Amino acid sequence: MFTSFDLSDLVLILQGAFVTLQICFLSVILGGVVGIASGILAASPSAPLRWISAIWVGAIRGVPVLLIIFFVYFALPLMSPGSNIPDYWAAVLALTIFASAYISEIVRGSIQAIPRGQFEAAQALGLSWPKQLRHVVMPQAARIMVPPGIGFLVVLIKDSSLVAVIGLIELTRAGNIVASQTGQPILAYVVVGAVYFVICFALSTAGRRYERRLTIHARAPRVEDALTPSRGDSK
Amino acid sequence: MQLFFGDLIPYAPELLAGLGVSVLITVAAVLIGSPLGVGVYLLRAAGNPVARAVGSTYVEVIRNTPLLLQLYLIYFALPSVGVNFDPITAGIIALSVNNSAYLAEIYRAGFEAIPKGQIEAADALGLSRRATFFHVRLVPALRNVLPSLTNQVILLFLASSIASIVAVPELMHVMMGITTSTFRTIETFVVGGLLYFIVAFLIAGASRLVETRGIRWKVA
Repeated sequence: MFTSFDLSDLVLILQGAFVTLQICFLSVILGGVVGIASGILAASPSAPLRWISAIWVGAIRGVPVLLIIFFVYFALPLMSPGSNIPDYWAAVLALTIFASAYISEIVRGSIQAIPRGQFEAAQALGLSWPKQLRHVVMPQAARIMVPPGIGFLVVLIKDSSLVAVIGLIELTRAGNIVASQTGQPILAYVVVGAVYFVICFALSTAGRRYERRLTIHARAPRVEDALTPSRGDSK
Repeated sequence: MQLFFGDLIPYAPELLAGLGVSVLITVAAVLIGSPLGVGVYLLRAAGNPVARAVGSTYVEVIRNTPLLLQLYLIYFALPSVGVNFDPITAGIIALSVNNSAYLAEIYRAGFEAIPKGQIEAADALGLSRRATFFHVRLVPALRNVLPSLTNQVILLFLASSIASIVAVPELMHVMMGITTSTFRTIETFVVGGLLYFIVAFLIAGASRLVETRGIRWKVA
């Protein structure tokens, strides 16, 4: 009943890796749009806007990614009966929601890391808040967002393995299939692990390199800061 | 769309029991992962290049592969070579191993942040090596990394939901069971999500208390 581990198994795993990269790419782009908007709100001078962002970010970061995935896949379709979401898009949507909260924190942290004097100087020149952001703060903040952003991408790629449980054949699920077809689970999972490792290690090394090259006075925020949406928020 | 949260009331004890298991496996993974993390840090900081390579390889491999895959390897793959674990043990092992790699990195950051001058000053004052390690390196290092440590505990607690995939009866698993028997899917997710959120929030709050005024750390 078992077939030996051969080229077709390796192809299946690589196809899975391609799906993993696709859904991560899509959700980092979509989550990036929502996250940048939310991060700008979080750093804005208006308290109600900051609250909207803090509630969104806090709610997402306070629950497991797996719960977000199950919610999108099982609960969301019930809100309009009769509808259903294909596995692929459920995965993208769930990971987008997840990514938006973490990217929001990175953006907020990076904006707040820019010295206050920069805001004050821009204000003294008569620039409005959006113009201060666009011309003075964001160009500087964008650079310090890169290392934690890459760090988050690694987190996203690893956590995207959880969509295997809703049936999408991505890298981890491909490993499951190969494991049960060949009866060699250790080999299958080690190969899958190696593929994850190559992708993630390349990214994290690139992130560290960039961080070392970065000569900027402000320190980049840490990606891992969970559930601290208002810390250091002195405005 | 109508929501019926009342239907969940009979399941309250089950949900709380699930939450208890989640907390329990998190605590176990903290208790096992912490000393393991110290060991890995010591390997990475050792003079011996082989030990250093082993330590960094461990950290990089664990940190650059998914927890789910690590769990699969322990629970589904090891039995093929005759090593069997029950779901809870497998879950605790996976979480502990995963946690230890992150903790080793946090410890490293904490120790590296201690200025060399402090250690030299302790030497000049004639402090013993043990006293220097404890009072000048360990305690200040832990104080520096307390926020990162709490974040790691919160992330670990949320990650413990992954153990539901191998049928550990923790909160996520209980929730999935309730949705199949009641069909109150949205309600169950909202309540379960709140439970996760509350515990994560409490961990964050407790850490902030300790940080701001709770415990007075003695440096020397």
